[in-house]
Amino acid sequence: MNRKSEWYIPLVVTVGQVVIFPYYIIWLKQVSLTFTLFAWFFAAFSFAAAWGYRIFQTKQNKNASYIAFIYAGMGCVYILTSCIKNSFESLPYVVLLLQVILGLLQGYFRAWHSMQKTYHLHAVHHYLIVGFMMIVFSFVKVISPVVFITIFGLLLCICGFWDLIRNKEAG
Amino acid sequence: MKRVRELSKKPWFLGILVTIFVVVILWNIPIEKRKYGLSQNSLVTDYTGLLPERVEKVVKAKNRNELQKIVKQANKNGEKISVAGLQHSQGGHTYYKDGVVLDMRTFNKILEIDELHKTIRVEAGATWEDVQEAVLPHGLALKVTQSQSVFTIGGSLSVNVHGRDIRFGPMAETVKEMTLLTPTGEIKKVTRDDSEEWMKYVFGGYGLFGVILDVTLDLTENDIYTIHTEKLKTDEYESYFKNLSGDRKTAMHYARVSVAPSSFLDEMYVINYNYTGGQDRKTLLKGEQGVQLSKLALDLGRQGGALEDIFWKTQKRYIRSINGKKITRNNAMRSESTFMEYTKPGRVEVLQEFFVPVYSYEEYINDLKHLLKANDKNDDFKVHNITVRYAAKDNFTTLNYAKEDMFGFVILIQHGLKEEEIANATAMIQKWTRLTMEHGGTYYLPYYRYQTKEQFKESYPKWEKFQEEKLRRDPNEVFQNLFYDYYVK
Repeated sequence: MNRKSEWYIPLVVTVGQVVIFPYYIIWLKQVSLTFTLFAWFFAAFSFAAAWGYRIFQTKQNKNASYIAFIYAGMGCVYILTSCIKNSFESLPYVVLLLQVILGLLQGYFRAWHSMQKTYHLHAVHHYLIVGFMMIVFSFVKVISPVVFITIFGLLLCICGFWDLIRNKEAG
Repeated sequence: MKRVRELSKKPWFLGILVTIFVVVILWNIPIEKRKYGLSQNSLVTDYTGLLPERVEKVVKAKNRNELQKIVKQANKNGEKISVAGLQHSQGGHTYYKDGVVLDMRTFNKILEIDELHKTIRVEAGATWEDVQEAVLPHGLALKVTQSQSVFTIGGSLSVNVHGRDIRFGPMAETVKEMTLLTPTGEIKKVTRDDSEEWMKYVFGGYGLFGVILDVTLDLTENDIYTIHTEKLKTDEYESYFKNLSGDRKTAMHYARVSVAPSSFLDEMYVINYNYTGGQDRKTLLKGEQGVQLSKLALDLGRQGGALEDIFWKTQKRYIRSINGKKITRNNAMRSESTFMEYTKPGRVEVLQEFFVPVYSYEEYINDLKHLLKANDKNDDFKVHNITVRYAAKDNFTTLNYAKEDMFGFVILIQHGLKEEEIANATAMIQKWTRLTMEHGGTYYLPYYRYQTKEQFKESYPKWEKFQEEKLRRDPNEVFQNLFYDYYVK
């Protein structure tokens, strides 16, 4: 484990994704017109994640993973999500697109992560960290899920930037 | 099987699956429905969301006695009452500042169907859809109703709607009997030859003369029609309609006038429902069809300019495609409405209807060409749709819009919600109203009050009688709404 970014960033991203999940769900429910649509948005996310996973799996040169851009991409989606202030007519279409992009990136990230040496160690750590974080968050009064989604989006962008810098330094 | 398994391992295979799924979802995303009416938390609105107002409370009464008690109490305590159904009127007719709103949607029972005499007795909070569902198995249909079935009976009668049937006048003419809760709290059975002439004021009375509890409506057979469509020049329409009404082959009729820049007010399409002699008991009521496509086409037209030309071409192609098709009367009376939803923040779509005598049609259209811009792409005030319906002379109601046989121009207008944009739309619609009145016409009152009080008084010369009767029958002015406040008080 020569580089700290290789150790910390995937853990931060994995933990963050699970912690942000309840807040993201609240937001998604708010923008879905019906429960059916809410469920379909989720299905679209899931299918896209499978697609993203498979894209990485079948990739020839797994070292050129562009993972920094994947972090930044996920971060941008979360930030974009939090920028949507008003309900507008084409919102469900935008949300569907965001769900597919997010699913694709998360699937790709997970496939990449599973190939890393730290993956199994991270699995245990992330469960523990998420457990503790959720207990802490249970005492935080949620003003709006958008605040947490924005913070997480920014964090992902920083992770992407950090990873990119570290890669350049290493390369 | 092995080949399928191999295929499924390719990333593009999952990519195709995701794409197909996304397309399916896109197609099934419901068209957003605006939040309006009594469901708002703090302020009440009606369909357009204009004129938001605080009300004291919204009451869903359980029965007639409870309603009666509320009205009597209001007379005693000086409270103000408004009556609301599905709130499709657009000028604050269903609420009043700090008043009590009676939500009539729970009074929606079908009380009696008399197949022999072809009548139905129905509570006022029922929708026309409820009535259609009830009369369909009896092979019956309404005599007069709006082109959509999403309104309540009480609401439609309060604005005295007209329909597409060229043989009958306004809806008020099809009511045989009515149970009314008067403004002073009496429950009365009222017939057409009632000496107190309640119907004359309640129908087209905009909820100011008490609460309609139930009505007995005349019905007719659920005839089967052949749809006949034809493209015309607008200057041919007047004589076309005279021939049409003379030869008695047609039951229902309406027309659509082009608002596309390249054929603006020059081209129009007529849609006739001609008798086949057949009647129907079996065909089910049709649901909303092709909503997504219609919405897409309308949204295209909303962009104006060349895209509005494409929209008009699409409409023409669609209208041509239905030529010769058969349809039951019930289904002809339930056009789609969901596709018209428009929810862009900062903008609104409103309806206006202008009536001009049949003989003035051609001159009116020519003058309209000078008033309106053919291409409103870059303007804030946009005209998206004009349909024409026939409104037969109405001698019955007090605020009657058809003083002689008229054509009603139903106009779909879009404008912005900034102060100057509303002022611009108001000025434009006042000019349009002035032009209509110069041609011996009137404008319809269920919509937003862009017009001046003077225009109201001139268009409805019996308004003083209306006011006098209102004060006589409702001495405590218990029944109030924003329409009354603006125009009549």
